[in-house]
Amino acid sequence: MSNKKFSRRSLLTGATAAVGGVAAFAGPWKHNRAYAQASDKPIRIGITSDASGQYANSGASDRRGMLMAIDEANAKGGVLGRKIEFQHLDTETTAATGSRVAERLITREECGFLVGAVSSGVANAISQVAQRYGVIYLNTNSSSPTESGQNCHRVKFVWDGNGTNFAKAAVKNSIDAYGKKWMLLTNDYGWGHDTAAATKKLLDQYGGEVVEEILVPQGTRDFSAALLKIQQANPDVVAAAVGGDDQVAMRQQVAQLGMGSKPAWINNQQDWPDVYGLPVDNLFGVFGTTWYYGLDLPGVKEFVERYQAAYPDTAMRVPGNVFYNGYMATRELLAAIERADSTNNIAVIKQLEGHKMSAESRMQHHDAWIDPDTHQVQQTVYLATANTEMGDNKDDMFKVLTQSAPEEVRDEGAAAACKLESYDETPSFDA
Amino acid sequence: MYSLIPHIVNGLTLGLLFALIALGFTLIVGVMEVINLAHGAFFALGAYFALATIGGSWFAGTEFGIWWSSLSPGARYASGLIFGPLCAAGAGMILELCLRPTYGKAPLYGLLLTFGAALVIEELIRLVWGTGEQSLSVPQAINGAFLMGGLIFSKYKFYAAAFSILAIFLVWLFLEKTPYGAIIKAGSHDSEMVRALGFDLGKLRLAVFAFGAALAGLAGVIMAPIWGLRPHIGIDVVIPAFLIIVVGGVGSFWGAVAAAMLVGLAVGITGAYAAAWSMLSMYILLILVVGFRARGLFGRKSALEN
Amino acid sequence: MISLSDIPARGGSPFTPPMFVFLLALATAPFWLEAVGLYSYLGIEITIWILYAMGFNLLFGYAGLHSFGHGAYLGVGAYAFGLFQNHVGVSLWGGLLAAVLAATIAGAAVALFVAHRRGIYFALLTIAFGQVFWFCAIKLRWLTGGEDGLLGIPRPDLVIGPLRVSLQENTSLHWFSAAILGLAMLGLWRLVNAPFGRVLQAIRQNEMRARFAGYDVWRIKWLVFTLSASVAGLAGGLFAMAQESAYPDVMSLHQSGLIVMMILVGGGLVSFWGPVLGVLVYFIARDIIGGITETWLLWFGLMFVVMVMVRPEGAAGLAHVVRARFARAPVKTPVSAPAERSA
Repeated sequence: MSNKKFSRRSLLTGATAAVGGVAAFAGPWKHNRAYAQASDKPIRIGITSDASGQYANSGASDRRGMLMAIDEANAKGGVLGRKIEFQHLDTETTAATGSRVAERLITREECGFLVGAVSSGVANAISQVAQRYGVIYLNTNSSSPTESGQNCHRVKFVWDGNGTNFAKAAVKNSIDAYGKKWMLLTNDYGWGHDTAAATKKLLDQYGGEVVEEILVPQGTRDFSAALLKIQQANPDVVAAAVGGDDQVAMRQQVAQLGMGSKPAWINNQQDWPDVYGLPVDNLFGVFGTTWYYGLDLPGVKEFVERYQAAYPDTAMRVPGNVFYNGYMATRELLAAIERADSTNNIAVIKQLEGHKMSAESRMQHHDAWIDPDTHQVQQTVYLATANTEMGDNKDDMFKVLTQSAPEEVRDEGAAAACKLESYDETPSFDA
Repeated sequence: MYSLIPHIVNGLTLGLLFALIALGFTLIVGVMEVINLAHGAFFALGAYFALATIGGSWFAGTEFGIWWSSLSPGARYASGLIFGPLCAAGAGMILELCLRPTYGKAPLYGLLLTFGAALVIEELIRLVWGTGEQSLSVPQAINGAFLMGGLIFSKYKFYAAAFSILAIFLVWLFLEKTPYGAIIKAGSHDSEMVRALGFDLGKLRLAVFAFGAALAGLAGVIMAPIWGLRPHIGIDVVIPAFLIIVVGGVGSFWGAVAAAMLVGLAVGITGAYAAAWSMLSMYILLILVVGFRARGLFGRKSALEN
Repeated sequence: MISLSDIPARGGSPFTPPMFVFLLALATAPFWLEAVGLYSYLGIEITIWILYAMGFNLLFGYAGLHSFGHGAYLGVGAYAFGLFQNHVGVSLWGGLLAAVLAATIAGAAVALFVAHRRGIYFALLTIAFGQVFWFCAIKLRWLTGGEDGLLGIPRPDLVIGPLRVSLQENTSLHWFSAAILGLAMLGLWRLVNAPFGRVLQAIRQNEMRARFAGYDVWRIKWLVFTLSASVAGLAGGLFAMAQESAYPDVMSLHQSGLIVMMILVGGGLVSFWGPVLGVLVYFIARDIIGGITETWLLWFGLMFVVMVMVRPEGAAGLAHVVRARFARAPVKTPVSAPAERSA
C-alpha cells in the first residue's frame, strides 16, 4: 500500500510543522528544555510492558530486566550525572491502551524514552505515538518481522530476533537432520503468516517440500483435529508457528499423544516465561531463542547471580530471554545517552544506529550490531531443545543445539520493506 | 482424501467435553434463571485448588506435607478431583449470597453482578497463583495414547469424555428424580407459593448454586490437562457454555447436551477440513439455529426472554 | 422503580442546566485538564467514548435491548474512516461520512436478524454477530491489516468553506470531537424527549403492550439498533483519528462488555446523563488507580459488584436520591420499590 506510506509521510511533515508552530501546548520538551542543562533533573523512562492480558507474565519478566538495568545505572551515579527515574503503566496487551499509555507517559509523565513490548499490536500503537513526538521507543520483545519491516520507525529499535531469523536458523539444519516432507501448523494471524511465509521460502531454497499448511485460528484450544490430520499425512517435520495460550494447549495435547518426537517439531521461538516450570515432556521439538542462562560464556554466571540478588522472591529463579532483552535494551539505551553526552533524541538515535556490541558484553557467541536501516539488533540465534537429562536442577530446561551468526540469519525482507522517516521528519527535543 | 470417521469420533468426544463445560452453567440458568458469567471463574478456581491440592505446596515442610508428598500420585490426583470442585462450590455459595438483592429484578442484574465477580476472582487468582502458566499433572494410568484403526487417540480425552457422561447422568438424576429440582424450578416462577408450602427457598438456591459451581470446578480439573491453566482461562469457558445454552434452548437439559454435541462436531469437522474457520463455526451454528428457531432447538418459554 | 426518571413524561425543555455544565466542561477541558493531573489525549478519548456510550444507551437504557456486541460498530466506523483516507482521499468529512455509513449498514443488516428477538436471545445474537465482525477484522488481513490493525491513519484538516484548521494537535482534535459530541447530545436529547423516546421506553417496559397499542415494534427496534450503530460509527471515525490507527481490540467481547459496565456504573438505566458519568468514572479510575496498582481491575470489579448489590441504578441514581434528600422531598428508595422485570 504505497499510498498509505505516502499519507503517513505527509502527516509527519505536517506534525513537525505543527509542533514548531504550537510549541506552547505540546510535549515534554516545552517543560524540559529549561531544565535540560541542570544536572539535577532526572532522566525519565516510561515502561510500557504488559501487566495484564495474554502477555502479562512475559511483560513482568521484561519489566524486571529493565528495572535491573536502571538500578545498576543509578548505583553507578546515574547517566550524565542525572538520576534515572521510571514510570510503569499497564498496556493490558491491548493496542488501544498502548496508544493512551504512550500519550500519558509522554505528555503527562514527561518521559523522554519509552521501553517495553511483547505484543506486536501494542508495539505498533506505541511506536506511532512515539514517532509523532520524536520519543525513542525500544521494542524489547515483540518478534513479528513487520516490526523492523513495514512498521519500522526512526524512533523505534527492535531488540528481539524475529520470526524470519529463527526460521533461517532452523530450516536448513532440520531438513538435513529430519527430512524434506514438511507440514506447517500456522496460527491464522499476522505473526503466524509472516513466520510461515519465511519458512516456506527457505524450504523452496533448500529443497524441502510443504505437504500441507493447516491454519488454526487464534484462540484455538483443541488441536485434536489438526493432530489427527498430521498423523494421517505423516510428514517428517511439522513447523509450528503457534503463539501464546494456543501454544500451551497445543503442547499439552501433543505431549499426551506422545507425538513430540515423531514427527520432528520445529517451534519458531520459545519465550522462557511461557515454559518455565512446566513438565519437560511438554517442551518437545526444536525452537529458537536469543539467549539461555545455561550458555557456557563468561559473565553469564554473574548475570544470573545479579538477577537472583535483585529478585529473591520471584517464582522464576533464573533469568530468561525476555528478561535478557529487556535488560540489554535498557542498558544500551543508557550507554547511548552517555556516549552522545546529551539527551537530545536525534543525537541518541545516531548513537544507537549501527552501534556494535561485543559478544562478550552481550554474553552471546557473536558480536551484535543495531542495523541502521531497520533498527533491529542483528544477533546470534540459538536453536535449543528440551533438556531431558536435567537431573536435579529443574531450571535447566533447555539444551542448546546450534548457534547461528547474525549474518547467516539476517532478515533481508525486513530491510527491503522498511522505510525509516528522515531525521528532519522526526521532532527533536532534549529529554 | 482423509477418512471422515476419525474426525466424527473426535468431534463427538469434543462434544462431550463441551457438555461437561456447559453443565454447571445449564443447571444454574435452567433452574434459577441466573446467567452466571462467573462460571468460567469457578472453572479456573476448581482447577487451581486441585493444583494446590495435588502439589501440596501450601503445607510443604510441615509433617503433614511430608506425609502428603509420600502418597501415590493417583491418590493425590483423586483428592484434588474432590477438593477442587468443593472449593469452587464454596465460592459459589458466597456468590449466591451476594446475588440475593438481585432476585426478582431484571435478569440483567444477575448477569452483571456475576460478570463483576468473574473479574474479581480472576484478579485474586493472579494474586495467589501468579500470572504464569501452570500445569496440572495426571496419573500415568490415564496419560498417554492408544491406537485405534491405525490412528493415535489420547487416553486422557476418553477418560474426560467418560467423566462427562457420568456428570451428565448425575445432573439429570438431580433434576428429574429428586424433589429438589421441581421445587427450585417452581421457586423461580412463584417464590411465594413455594415458601407457603414450607420450603426454605434460600437454602435450596444456595445448594443449587453450590452444585453448579462444583460442576464448573470439576470441568476445570478435567480440562486443565488439555487446555493448560492460566488466570484468564475462564473466558475460554464462558463463551462456549453460553452458546450451547442458547443453541440448545434455555431451560432444556437435553437440548444443551445435544447442542454441545453439535458444537463439538462442528468444531471437530471444520477443524479437519477448514481449520481456519473452526472457531467461527460455533457462532455460525448459533446464528443459523437461532435465526430459524427463536428459542433454540428445544427451548421453552423463560423469564430470561422478557 | 428503575426507569429513566429524569426524562419528563411530556416533552422536555430543549436546553437544561446540566447541558450547560456539560458543554462548558467539554469546551474548557484543555485549559484545566493538566492542572487536575490529566492530559489532553485522555480528554479526547473520554469525549469519544461518551459519544459512543450515549448512542449505545439509546438502545441499552431506553429501549432495554441489551446488546453485548456493540464494539463491532465502533470498530467498523474506525476501519471505514481509515480505509477512506488510504484508498479514496484524505478528507475529514468524507471519512466521517464513510464511518457513519459503514456502521449504519452493518447495524441495519444485523438488526434485520436480531430485531425479532428479545431478552437473552437478543443478547446472545448480538454477541455472536460481534464475534463475527471481530473475527473478520482479524482475518481479512489484506483489508484491515489483521491483528496489527490499520496503521498510519492521518488526521485530515478541518475544512469549513474557506476556513482550514489543522487537527494534528490533540487540543484542536479535542475541540472538534467536543463540538461533534455537543451536537449529537442535543440531537439525542431531542430524540428521547420526542414521542419516539417514549415509545422506546414503552417497548422496554412491556413489548407486548406496546405492540397491542398499535406500534410497529419490530420496525422501531430495527431503527433504534441502526441509529445506535450509526452513532457508534461516528465515534469510531473520531477514534481512528485520535489513535491514527484502527485496531480490532475494540470489537472484542471484552471491550463490548466494558461499555455495558460503564453504562451501568454511571446509571444509564435511570438517566440520560448516566453514560457520561459512567465513562468519566471508568476512564479516570482506570487512569489513576492503574498508575498506582496493577490489580486495578480487582478494585474496579469489587466496586462494580457492590454497586450492583446495593445501588443497581448507578451513579446517576445515587445523585437522584441525594438531590431528592436535599430538596426534603419524600424519597422512595429505588431498591425497595416493587421490582420490574424489564430486561
